[in-house]
Amino acid sequence: MPGKTIIGKTIVIEGEIEGAEDLVVQGTIKGNIVLKENLLVEPSGLVEADVQTQNVDVGGELKGDITATNKVEIRKEGKMIGDIRAPRILIADGALFKGSVDMERR
Amino acid sequence: MPEAGVIGKGIEIKGELRGEEDLIIEGRVEGTITLKKHLIVETTGVVVADVQTENITIKGQMNGNMAATDKVEFAANARVDGDVKSPRVVIEDGARFRGNVEMEVDLPPGIL
Amino acid sequence: MIDKKMGAENTIIGDTIIIRGNVQGDEDLTIKGRVEGSITLTRDLFIENSGIVKADVNVQNIFISGVLVGNVAASQLVEISADGRMVGNISAPRVVIIDGASYRGRIEMGEAAEGARPVMRPRPVSRPGMRPFPPRPAPAPAAPKPATPPGAPPAKPASGGEAKPSEKPSGPGGPLLKPPEAKGPGVKPPEGKPSEGKPPTPGGPSVTIKKEEPKKP
Repeated sequence: MPGKTIIGKTIVIEGEIEGAEDLVVQGTIKGNIVLKENLLVEPSGLVEADVQTQNVDVGGELKGDITATNKVEIRKEGKMIGDIRAPRILIADGALFKGSVDMERR
Repeated sequence: MPEAGVIGKGIEIKGELRGEEDLIIEGRVEGTITLKKHLIVETTGVVVADVQTENITIKGQMNGNMAATDKVEFAANARVDGDVKSPRVVIEDGARFRGNVEMEVDLPPGIL
Repeated sequence: MIDKKMGAENTIIGDTIIIRGNVQGDEDLTIKGRVEGSITLTRDLFIENSGIVKADVNVQNIFISGVLVGNVAASQLVEISADGRMVGNISAPRVVIIDGASYRGRIEMGEAAEGARPVMRPRPVSRPGMRPFPPRPAPAPAAPKPATPPGAPPAKPASGGEAKPSEKPSGPGGPLLKPPEAKGPGVKPPEGKPSEGKPPTPGGPSVTIKKEEPKKP
């Protein structure tokens, strides 16, 4: 199992990110994210990007559309604006979400 | 070990220098230097010349282009202005340098 | 293993990650994967052995143990380790190249010395029997374009400002070092190919060397 990449709080990335490992975002990413593993947006994290990955865990802010092959979870500190396509979705009590949800299994 | 020529601190030369042995420069040389072995410019040395040899070690001042078949090295006191072409280049912390460096760089395919 | 400051925040880009774009931050950044674009940090950049960076870089210190193609402006130190490979220009007050490193580009550490008298560059002299080294094949598969990191101007350090711009034209190389063919498509000095339209300045660029010790008769 590969390691994970942690984007620190002061880091701002504008562009595309792709990879085959977990990505933890404490900083800011604007653009596009394509991962084979998991995306974790921490409370300090801001992601303005379309995301394509396995699992997404939103504890911070995410603006963009998510396509996940497994699960999307928005925590109670999380805030998301965008559309979600995933077979499993968990939106915690207190989370903010605006967008559409498509859980149709493919 | 072959004898090394030494150009002492008080010596100043203008012209073409050639040789088959190591050369240590403590004085001043202006012109061109062509050697087969090791050129050492000592801390007191001032060279204003293009140099072509096997090995170059600069501890003093060098103003000119350097071509070596083995290695070019700038020690901490070196003050160098000129281009360097050599398979190996070493720059120590503290050296002052301005110029082009050309070494063969093996890059991953497709990066350029 | 490169020494990192204890307790300093440090983002690590893992070896399966590819980033295409701009990266900025106020913390140390370690790259084990691939970054193309530009990197601007108020702290240090570490390019590990597996790291491949094709970007203009503007940082405090940079330690290269992987591959870097692009120009670097550092406010303190640029170090290329024995495993490091770099093509690009360097503008920094301190540059260290460890034996075993590969580098091609222009290095500007500012004036060679303060307050010294200008010295005339040796004029190219044609001598029979003295020829430059035989032309080497281009070191990398030559893309026919000038090697410009995507989206970033090759001439200047990224988001210039604090860094010393390497504006000095590449000095006229003597015949010994100017390769007969164009060099490989490495990143060129700011003005483009060295042999293009730049008249060799007969007086030499304003080169200064330390005033030599007076000779006692």
